[in-house]
Amino acid sequence: MTDPHDTAEGDDLLAAEYVLGVLALSDRAGVEARLKTDRALAARVAAWETQLSALNDGFAPAPAAPDLLPRIEARLFPQPRRWRAWVGGALTAAALSLAALVLLPLPPPAPLVASLGAPDAALRFEARHDGAALILTRTAGAAAPAGQAHEAWLIAPDAAPVALGLITDVSLRVPYPAAPEGWVLAVSLEPAGGAPGGAPTGPILATGTITGF
Amino acid sequence: MTDDPVANLLMRVARQDRAAFRALYADTGAKLMGVLMRMLGTRAEAEDALQEVFTRVWLRAGRFDAARGRGMTWLIAIARNHAIDRLRARPDAPVAADGTADLLPDTRPSALTGLIAQGEARRIADCFATLPPDRAAALRAAYLDGRSYADLAAQHAVPLNTMRTWLRRSLLALRECLSQ
Repeated sequence: MTDPHDTAEGDDLLAAEYVLGVLALSDRAGVEARLKTDRALAARVAAWETQLSALNDGFAPAPAAPDLLPRIEARLFPQPRRWRAWVGGALTAAALSLAALVLLPLPPPAPLVASLGAPDAALRFEARHDGAALILTRTAGAAAPAGQAHEAWLIAPDAAPVALGLITDVSLRVPYPAAPEGWVLAVSLEPAGGAPGGAPTGPILATGTITGF
Repeated sequence: MTDDPVANLLMRVARQDRAAFRALYADTGAKLMGVLMRMLGTRAEAEDALQEVFTRVWLRAGRFDAARGRGMTWLIAIARNHAIDRLRARPDAPVAADGTADLLPDTRPSALTGLIAQGEARRIADCFATLPPDRAAALRAAYLDGRSYADLAAQHAVPLNTMRTWLRRSLLALRECLSQ
């Protein structure tokens, strides 16, 4: 099993079985945990998704309920308050005229968009947004115990949590064009490598709501 | 811009373009609903799953890489993975009673040859056609219905390892053909 060729062979077959969908829950969870950090395995999975894509012809299209898109949009895009849009527009116009005057404006510090955990809690995280990504950092308390990890989640209204990644001593950076106001960020304690199966399994350690700035 | 319209929409969605998100739903929603209906079996669960799938698409569009594959392939992978997670989480993980029909050789020419006749897609379809019909049908049943090795073994009353060996050989034969 230590022969690199055997390992590569085994990984390619494992990627194929993962994409085919035949693995038992625990094996599947093992692959998903590895995919968070193993780029070579992720490339094999992507290759098999293409290699098996001929089978996608077997899925006959089926119309969904007509109100499904509005329901999805209501969940993803809560109505912004009117003045905020107006002020945002005015600020954008002001920023544009400033940019025209100042060729190399200094980048502003990434604004804080959420604090996770109570101010006096032992474990606390913060989220900032630098215009291109959400940046999550532990600001108080200890790292996860050996064999475990702090995993970050983003939760849209009425939706299941979506994993963002693991928060280690280095900040977690998640490319995301704008901070979705009103959505919840949470951190849970998970096995090393992250929660198997795409949903949090351990206790929620801290949560915070994303606010505008 | 690429020659893949779904990929182009995904790249706009990654920049939080809501109009592109609506266009993406209009272009791909029915196909993804078809994936979820087939795998999950009921309209109510499929529609619930479709909302989760498009939530993930909105969140993860930035991770789509047009160099790695086509947009529709990426979307269907998200839908299939979500459906498989739901299937595996079911307490009884039932095997469909009429499932054996899926393992009979599929003589309809449309399933594979109806694919867009170009480049990679054509080659993949050609390689599937080189598999023995029963092997290709088994792969198809596993893929389209989200069956686990355990489901398939129970359905065919063979040991799990036999089923695993059988499907692995088919996967290796497919890869061998594609690498030529």
